[in-house]
Amino acid sequence: MKPEAITSLVARRAFLRKIGRAATCAGAIAATGALGVVQKAAAKSVPAPSRGSFPTPDYDWTQHRWGFGVDATKCIGCLRCVEACKRENNVPADAHHFNTWVERYVYLEGETKARIDSQADPQNIAASGSETEYRFDNRYQDAKVEKAFFVPKLCNQCEHPPCVQVCPTGATYRTQDGVVLIDSKYCIGCQYCVQACPYGARYFNVRTRVSQKCYWCYHRITRGLQPACVEACPVGARIFGDRNDPQSPISLFIRNNRVQVLRPETGNAPNVFYVGIDKEVG
Amino acid sequence: MPKHIVRLVILLVASGAIALIAKWFFTAESFYQYGHYRADSVPEMAAQKPVFQTPRYCQSCHSERHAQWSANNHKTVSCEVCHGAAQGHPQEGKLPIPADTRKLCTLCHEAMPGRPRTQPQVALAQHSGGQQCVVCHNPHAPKLAGVVAKVAGDAAAGNRKHAASCASCHGAAGISPNDTWPNLAGQNAAYLVRILAAYKSGDQTDVMMSPMAKTLSDADIQNLAAYYAGLSCQAAPGEGRVGDAAAGKALAKNCAACHGETGIGSNPAWPKLASQKAGYLVNALKTFRAGLRRDPMMAGVTRGLSDADIANLAAYYAAQSCEPVTQARKTQ
Repeated sequence: MKPEAITSLVARRAFLRKIGRAATCAGAIAATGALGVVQKAAAKSVPAPSRGSFPTPDYDWTQHRWGFGVDATKCIGCLRCVEACKRENNVPADAHHFNTWVERYVYLEGETKARIDSQADPQNIAASGSETEYRFDNRYQDAKVEKAFFVPKLCNQCEHPPCVQVCPTGATYRTQDGVVLIDSKYCIGCQYCVQACPYGARYFNVRTRVSQKCYWCYHRITRGLQPACVEACPVGARIFGDRNDPQSPISLFIRNNRVQVLRPETGNAPNVFYVGIDKEVG
Repeated sequence: MPKHIVRLVILLVASGAIALIAKWFFTAESFYQYGHYRADSVPEMAAQKPVFQTPRYCQSCHSERHAQWSANNHKTVSCEVCHGAAQGHPQEGKLPIPADTRKLCTLCHEAMPGRPRTQPQVALAQHSGGQQCVVCHNPHAPKLAGVVAKVAGDAAAGNRKHAASCASCHGAAGISPNDTWPNLAGQNAAYLVRILAAYKSGDQTDVMMSPMAKTLSDADIQNLAAYYAGLSCQAAPGEGRVGDAAAGKALAKNCAACHGETGIGSNPAWPKLASQKAGYLVNALKTFRAGLRRDPMMAGVTRGLSDADIANLAAYYAAQSCEPVTQARKTQ
């Protein structure tokens, strides 16, 4: 036999040995897996303990229907809501990722289109002096301003949320009390939802690799607290409450004002109700 | 059936079964409990700890501050808006007292197109002359006590009351004979009305003045104020001061917005300080600092003054002429 043939035989033998080992391992894993399936089947056949109230022992989500109001006629553009939200919800500390934000609409004399900026505008970042502090600069102080107003924005927690519709993994969903949440363990970071949202409410957190957005401080409202932005607003431009309670701030806000929602034509049926904005705001 | 087709079918059935088992195995137990999502993620979201507490939380220790704050115009501005989130406080340390109030306060109060008219706004260039906001404003009670009391007294009647009750201490012509009691001659009538009313109501107390003021009627107070305001304040600027007037002058820049550069302010609700008795000024500043005279603004501005600062300020004001030779600087 030629030496080359012997070498190839040795190599084949070694390869077959490896295959054999791999097969043994696979078999062992499969057996363990089967054991796991059996265990799991045993666990699944036991009925889940009936939960009195969900999601926490002190809070029953079937008893609430949350709603949010924004009175743009009161907003002073101080951005304390943005700052509070960043801190409360661990939003990336830069000037480009926000759960909630504020836009400024300015109509100058003789112009038909509004000039729009938000705290993420480079001039506003320069005015605040830091990417982690937020303020509107005073660029229009000497301009001939015909009309100007501030509009706080946040997730609309739509009745028919397109972001939930496009999520391939069930990582985002609407709770029974009307808040759209994100399951960070199931989010695969595909960002379909970011594109689906017509309000630009979602963004991708590159550090945690999941989509993120406002969720009305679900951890606060389930404890009986107000969302952090509502708590922080010094002028009462943000209104929050339970629409099941006819005397809650949000029920009174909706009843006593002519409210509108953003982009009603999309059919999403938003749950953030606005007062004092122009049709240009979307 | 050909052998290879049978094999293919078996393979397909087997992979289908594996897929089904895998799906069933890997799907979280709570996934379809309420819908096409993992129900357990809801309590996971709800378990996050609130970072911002509420003013009620702050109140449990800072009840005095809370009482002042909640009774004044800034009661809609929650504690944590200026001081930061209280999570971890006090265990993990103090919350900041904002240093740059010109930056902080203007977030809301800088005059800017788009802000509602009801929002108090200032044009920074014409307000405060570059000073920090807290020099004049107490952030917990920001509105200045600049409401000018109405003065419509009869100076002649005031003169009679003065001769009967006040002259023995404050001097026959409203110029006090010693360093401890204040000169009253030429003082702003609105200020005198306010301060006498405060002694009468007990808002401000003094061993000597409280019993005296309690006997005064409202008309007496008006008459006295009108009388003193009309007197000439030509007291010789004092001698033998302990403080350093030059050092006081530098400090007095912080007081100028209300009290004027030389102690003659533009608002009659606030007292004239020029040529006032130095000893009296020292006492007054120290009682403000100690909180015995309750005035939110003065409490704020005296908090940082040392005894030497106070003596210097008193020396400076005592040495000024009480006649407004040059117009006191107007401030808005």
